[in-house]
Amino acid sequence: MKKRLMTIASVILGAALVLSACSGSGSNGKPVVKVGSKNFTESLILGEMYALALENHGYKVDRKLNLGGTLVAHEALKKGDIDFYPEYTGTGLINVLELPPKSDAKEVYDEVSKGYKEKFNLIWLEPTNANDSQGLVTTKKVAEQYNLYKISDLSKVAPQLNLAAVPEFEEREDGLKGLNAFYGKMDFKSIKMFDYGIKYRVILDGQADVTVGFTTDGDLTNKDLVLLEDDKGFWPPYFVAPVIRSELNDKDPEIAKVLNEISARLDNETVQKLNAQVDIDKKEYAEVAKAFLQEQGLLK
Amino acid sequence: MEVLSQAIEYAATNSDRFWEAVRVHVSISLYALLIAVVICVPLGIVCAKKQWLSGPIMGLFNSLRVIPSLAVLVILLPLIGTGFTPALVALTLLACPPVLINTYMGFRSVEPSIIEAASGMGMSGGRIMRKVELPLALPLLLSGVKTAAVEVIASATLAAFIGGGGLGTFIINGLGMYKFSLLLVGAIPVALLAILSEIGFALIERVSTRYAR
Repeated sequence: MKKRLMTIASVILGAALVLSACSGSGSNGKPVVKVGSKNFTESLILGEMYALALENHGYKVDRKLNLGGTLVAHEALKKGDIDFYPEYTGTGLINVLELPPKSDAKEVYDEVSKGYKEKFNLIWLEPTNANDSQGLVTTKKVAEQYNLYKISDLSKVAPQLNLAAVPEFEEREDGLKGLNAFYGKMDFKSIKMFDYGIKYRVILDGQADVTVGFTTDGDLTNKDLVLLEDDKGFWPPYFVAPVIRSELNDKDPEIAKVLNEISARLDNETVQKLNAQVDIDKKEYAEVAKAFLQEQGLLK
Repeated sequence: MEVLSQAIEYAATNSDRFWEAVRVHVSISLYALLIAVVICVPLGIVCAKKQWLSGPIMGLFNSLRVIPSLAVLVILLPLIGTGFTPALVALTLLACPPVLINTYMGFRSVEPSIIEAASGMGMSGGRIMRKVELPLALPLLLSGVKTAAVEVIASATLAAFIGGGGLGTFIINGLGMYKFSLLLVGAIPVALLAILSEIGFALIERVSTRYAR
């Protein structure tokens, strides 16, 4: 009896050892890829798409989606806690590399690619055609009442309006700070911060008048919302692309191929529709990601 | 060190916003604590006196406490919207259990023989409560309030997610923007407030239990 127990114990121990030895790589020799994303709908959908596509190509994937904001995702990537995550060229330029804003999409992409490689040894893969720029959004009612359709009209009426800011907006050079310098000071009656998920609700409920939108937000398909025109061209381009650790990229170039294949199929309209399925139709982001890949024939 | 001086500089150049955030943070914490004390001290006393009530009441508040504060905010969103009020409700729920439990424990720990002796001396029920039970229960009660205060001050950062303002605003912005200095503008005052409240309540405890020394 005792002997039997010993055998069982040693089998379990052996199995555990073998398993732990394997955990560094998939069973077929491919590395386990740690996929990250930030904490809002679009980033979650993209992260899930990348994860599914890699799994489809036989990779083992460790999902570390829903990391906080830029800080958390970027730190995790630098440390190697994740292998890649989707980032926006404009954010990389202004917030991470702390360089002055530029308006040409290609120039911005080239500059962040170079800066990331030199500073962090990180690689920007091919960008999508989805430009998730920022914008100011108001309701149809407010727009009609104040004849407010362009940002340049805003500084005049701002003292009568309440701004529902989102995280980071008040502090960023490509947020309120830069906007004030570029368009002239906007003296809002009040500025309060809300989480991304509720900002449109806040203005639709009349608790604030203007909020910050992202141009690929699904909610912007709502006819009651008006995206103010950035008529003087303040915002730089924010094309989204996966940023990957260069060791992994060198070791296994197939990963980049899989990700680029997805990026090539994404443009503003597509991403907005995907976001809308989650934010408005309340579908799970994982389902939305899966359905899109299947529809595009990228998933068996 | 450089980060720290950047944080101080930020607070100095944005002093209006900084002090407004501190004011909101302190007032939201204080209100939550006050409401919790007003509700839970009497409830705790009732629980201690009427044993059969203690199970359901304590169970209720403890189960409410189990819901994460962030989730409470989301649940309250459709009911009372955004801003100060839902944040206050979530924080009050957080503050209730320690106050309730410690009040209950405090009053339960008063020896029945002491009460008996007091009533033997001809004290009325109200007088026994004021002169005997409350002073004896006070140390535990206060330590419950102290625990609640620290928890509430730390958690009041969540209010920033729903337009409630407070020091959490800086923390959330700093975290999102990859700026440690900004994060510290929120985090250091929160820590200081927590420590101050700890010291404050320790002093109150000392003063109020002077009779014992």
